[in-house]
Amino acid sequence: MSDNLTRPLSMEREQKRLLQEVQSLEVKISVKNLCFFYDDHQALFDNTLDIFQNRVTAIIGPSGCGKSTHIRAYNRIYEMYRGYRATGEVWLDQENILSPSQDLIQLRKKVGMIFQKPTPFPISVFENVAYGLRLHFKMSRGELAAKVEDALKRAALWEEVKDKLDQSGLAFSGGQQQRLCIARAISVEPEVLLMDEPTSAIDPLATSKIEELIESLKQKYTIVIVTHNMQQAARISDFTAFFYEGHIVEFGATRQVFTNPAKKQTEDYITGRFG
Amino acid sequence: MKARSLFARRLSDYLIKILSALAALIAIFALGWILSVVVSRGVSAFNLDFFTKLPTPPGISGGGLANAILGTLLITALASLIGIPIGMLAGVYLAEFGLDRPFASMIRFAANVVMGMPSIIIGVFVYTLVVKPAGHFSGYAGAIALAIIMLPLIARTSEDMLRLVPNSLRESALALGAPRWKVTLGVVFWSAKTGLITGALLALARISGETAPLLFTALNSSYWMRSPKEPTANLTVTIFNYAMSPYPDWKAKAWGASLLIMIAVLALSIFSRWIFREKKIRKG
Repeated sequence: MSDNLTRPLSMEREQKRLLQEVQSLEVKISVKNLCFFYDDHQALFDNTLDIFQNRVTAIIGPSGCGKSTHIRAYNRIYEMYRGYRATGEVWLDQENILSPSQDLIQLRKKVGMIFQKPTPFPISVFENVAYGLRLHFKMSRGELAAKVEDALKRAALWEEVKDKLDQSGLAFSGGQQQRLCIARAISVEPEVLLMDEPTSAIDPLATSKIEELIESLKQKYTIVIVTHNMQQAARISDFTAFFYEGHIVEFGATRQVFTNPAKKQTEDYITGRFG
Repeated sequence: MKARSLFARRLSDYLIKILSALAALIAIFALGWILSVVVSRGVSAFNLDFFTKLPTPPGISGGGLANAILGTLLITALASLIGIPIGMLAGVYLAEFGLDRPFASMIRFAANVVMGMPSIIIGVFVYTLVVKPAGHFSGYAGAIALAIIMLPLIARTSEDMLRLVPNSLRESALALGAPRWKVTLGVVFWSAKTGLITGALLALARISGETAPLLFTALNSSYWMRSPKEPTANLTVTIFNYAMSPYPDWKAKAWGASLLIMIAVLALSIFSRWIFREKKIRKG
């Protein structure tokens, strides 16, 4: 389908432009030979890729291919479970976060995470957002309230909850709960936001709100999003990594991966031939 | 191949229904009988003196069980003070840190064994450990014995309740940069709070009727307690002593004390069910 004869000339130019753009970008996270093991089962094989600063990187691939496993190494959340381990290197700025000397609290302040199912704590909206702030900062009540309001505004939730800050976080709809979780995550000013299928449990309207939100958050944060939804990856991401059975099959600019994939496997997946 | 007789199948179905209903009726009947006797005999013992006065010597009518009521409250409170925190922390260890480690499995097994142990053995154990070296019975010893009974109950129910909290909640708190202990004592405890309270209340209900362990530890007394270092009056041992006495007045007081304990246990059970139900409604 995409041999050189039929490819329009503009594509070549486009690729050159992309290449230049990539060279001008800063690498925020650099993953080198990341392998992951669930006890004896190896789930990731020599993953190597760069995540660019202030860009959205989508991770796509069929179920069970290691997408979530991969990003869960970026904040070492997997360490909650016994027998899970990662090898290789994940460089965040100048630090290898997989090194045993890495302080997990500092790491997780820098790398926030949004999960598939919204997980508001069973406390009020205000307290949900204040939770992270209280963990990392000492501030007066007034400052705290201002920070909470700011986070809720940036998560595009303020208008809907400003009169209900005392209500339980569980009292809201799925989409609102997810935006509350985003507010909670960005309240502590992380540098990277990991999103593990953030819209797979909520309805299309709420999904489009969150997609808009991701677009605006990009100005400030580096975003890595795992998604099952290929249209979503195409809509919101600048770069896309295609995972298959724990390997990174292809990584590149989203437009290129979706219109002109280098690998047959990627093309088959994107066109819906499997997965 | 011959079809099984439809009549035989219907008959056996019918018979099993009748038999199981009958069994349920017998069980309920025993309970109803006990309840009705305790209520009818106990109520007549209730009066202001019963709750405010000291017991009188045999033969002299009047008096009350105020010291025993106070003693029971105090011993139970002391036992809760020891048993609830330790039991809950043990539950935290089992649910949050121990999981399937061999040490945790061992503790879980030990807790199950202690739960099934006759309480009199725990009474004798505390007698040897506390009463004998101290040289006298004491309220403290009683509280320790009851706390030991509470421990495995609270540890296991707390573990179960904490395990009901989904890992996604722990993950999202950890992902914000919370240290593990804060996640557990904050978010996880708060999520499981009704379950934890229910577990503690049920353990409380369980120990408020215990007699044997107190017989070997707190013993009894006919005076006001000056300090838990002394033998301490309590309702269950009073029931034990008074019910076996030949004096009608004491017997009546034993009925009154029985009713009082029954009401307390019933109230605790209803209260704990009510809190647990509250949560379910709000969730639904």
